[in-house]
Amino acid sequence: MQKSRAYGFSYLYLLPSLVLTLVLGVYPILWAIRYMFFDYRGYGEVIFVGWDNFGRLFRDAQYWDSVVNTFVYAGGKLVITLPLSLILAVVLNRGLRGRHALRALYFMPTIVSSAVMAVVFFIIFNSYNGILNQYLRKLHLISDNVDWLGADHAMLTVILIAAWGAVGNYMLLFLAGLQGIPDDIYESSALDGANKRQQFRYITLPMLGPVLQIVIMLAIINSLKGYESIMVLTEGGPIGATRVMYLYVYQLFFPTPSGGIEAQQFGYGSAVGFMTAVIVGIVTMLYHMLSRKLNRLQ
Amino acid sequence: MHTNTNTLTAAHRPADVSARRAIWGKLASRTLLWVFLLVTAALILFPIVVTFLGSFMTNAEIATGGRLLPSSLQWSNYAEAWVQANFARFAWNSVYLSVVTTVGTLVVAAMAAYVVDRMQFPGKKAFIAIQASTMFISIGAVVMRPQFELMIKLHLHTSLLGVALILISAHAYVFFILLSFLGGISRELDEAVLIDGGSRSVIFWRVILPLLRPGLGVGALFTFCGAWNEYLRPLVFTMNTPSQQTLTVGLANLRYGASAAVQTHYMMAGACLSILPLLIVYLFANKSFMQMTAGSVKG
Repeated sequence: MQKSRAYGFSYLYLLPSLVLTLVLGVYPILWAIRYMFFDYRGYGEVIFVGWDNFGRLFRDAQYWDSVVNTFVYAGGKLVITLPLSLILAVVLNRGLRGRHALRALYFMPTIVSSAVMAVVFFIIFNSYNGILNQYLRKLHLISDNVDWLGADHAMLTVILIAAWGAVGNYMLLFLAGLQGIPDDIYESSALDGANKRQQFRYITLPMLGPVLQIVIMLAIINSLKGYESIMVLTEGGPIGATRVMYLYVYQLFFPTPSGGIEAQQFGYGSAVGFMTAVIVGIVTMLYHMLSRKLNRLQ
Repeated sequence: MHTNTNTLTAAHRPADVSARRAIWGKLASRTLLWVFLLVTAALILFPIVVTFLGSFMTNAEIATGGRLLPSSLQWSNYAEAWVQANFARFAWNSVYLSVVTTVGTLVVAAMAAYVVDRMQFPGKKAFIAIQASTMFISIGAVVMRPQFELMIKLHLHTSLLGVALILISAHAYVFFILLSFLGGISRELDEAVLIDGGSRSVIFWRVILPLLRPGLGVGALFTFCGAWNEYLRPLVFTMNTPSQQTLTVGLANLRYGASAAVQTHYMMAGACLSILPLLIVYLFANKSFMQMTAGSVKG
């Protein structure tokens, strides 16, 4: 009696969470798993096509271009973000005067909307009369406007913007890890004559190891998933140069003429979404295996 | 180094030179460090400062450019954005969406976290597994289509309440934050209230929730920021009902205005309206904001 009443209470309090998660979180995934075997465009007939959508996916150059773009984008973002945020974290961890204010400043981009900032960056990087070009011309660094959002530079631009938004966040994650390293290790190593560089190499890096691995994993997943600011800034253009895989999924469901895809394709889009999740899963697993191997070597 | 200078008195001069060199080296590396920190700070601040100052410029000033400060403060940018560009409506919609989402998320996540932390019942592990998996598995925008169809059935597809429900359904992160905070609240309190004849729900609403305030605060900041900054779902759900658009959607749509160049000053003012409320709160409570990220690694 006592037990069943306790169960009743538990399930009652769990109910809102469970219902919302199942209906709005889990059901949509099952929906996608069903429709990826159908030809369904949101109207008209729903036709069962078996694995055809996946056959089409493997021949879809637009998709594989977007996969390549994703890796360039994610790789570029990580190469800039991770070292920079680790350096900032180490510098701002101890001692330095004004470190609290600087931390707060570097973290600021994390709390502002990436969609809003994408609009601002659109004004800044605009090739015709954008604010950046105005300044660069004034400083005589360039004589002609640089087409920052054109085919040649668009990827670099979206990478820089992504790094702008992410550095502070990862700095803070690294700082959380650094604060777990006890001060007396640094003190006793200083007594033994270790310099700053040696301390970083032989104390900070090894002791930060586990946190470093988690943060890098988070960073990889996040950079593979991000597409909101690219969507606002370039819509994947020009001619697909900045279209990442999750943006392609979005455009198959909510197409716009300026995004370069004309018709909604829910069945095929579901297959693409599923495949994209699998790719992210594989990358995550490969990284996980690699970092475990590295652990064993040490 | 010290032993060198003490023992080798004959070689006094070289040691002196090397000590001086060390001081200069230290000064140089200090300077280099501060140059690096300040340049990084300037790069981080630049877009935000440009937006803020640009929001007070005339459109022509922004277009000809080359200056950081406005020649005179154009407060009318804000007045016009507020009224003519409909930002009053967008701002209200953003407030509504953020408040409903935050309250809903906290209640739903706190109730679930409480029973998961304190009670034993079949299916608990499965529930935790489902919550954890929703944080990591993502098939992208696909899910918005079935979510939209569900909302049509519930007659919520033209209202922001539908968007709020979808945002509340993604409460796993707050659930785990609260779970870790609950671990720090003594179970003896629960026992004491039970012995006094109080029920479990009295414990939850009267004892646990007030003690959970720090956790709820972090969760609230996280959820409020997320909802305030949310772009994709309000965009998709308000495609046919512009009156429901939030600040992020309304602002991004200004890019497609009849003549985009004419509206840059509105865009700057609109961007400020969207980011300044959060930045002002951040100015006073940045430590709490930073907790919401750092918590995810500390566990």
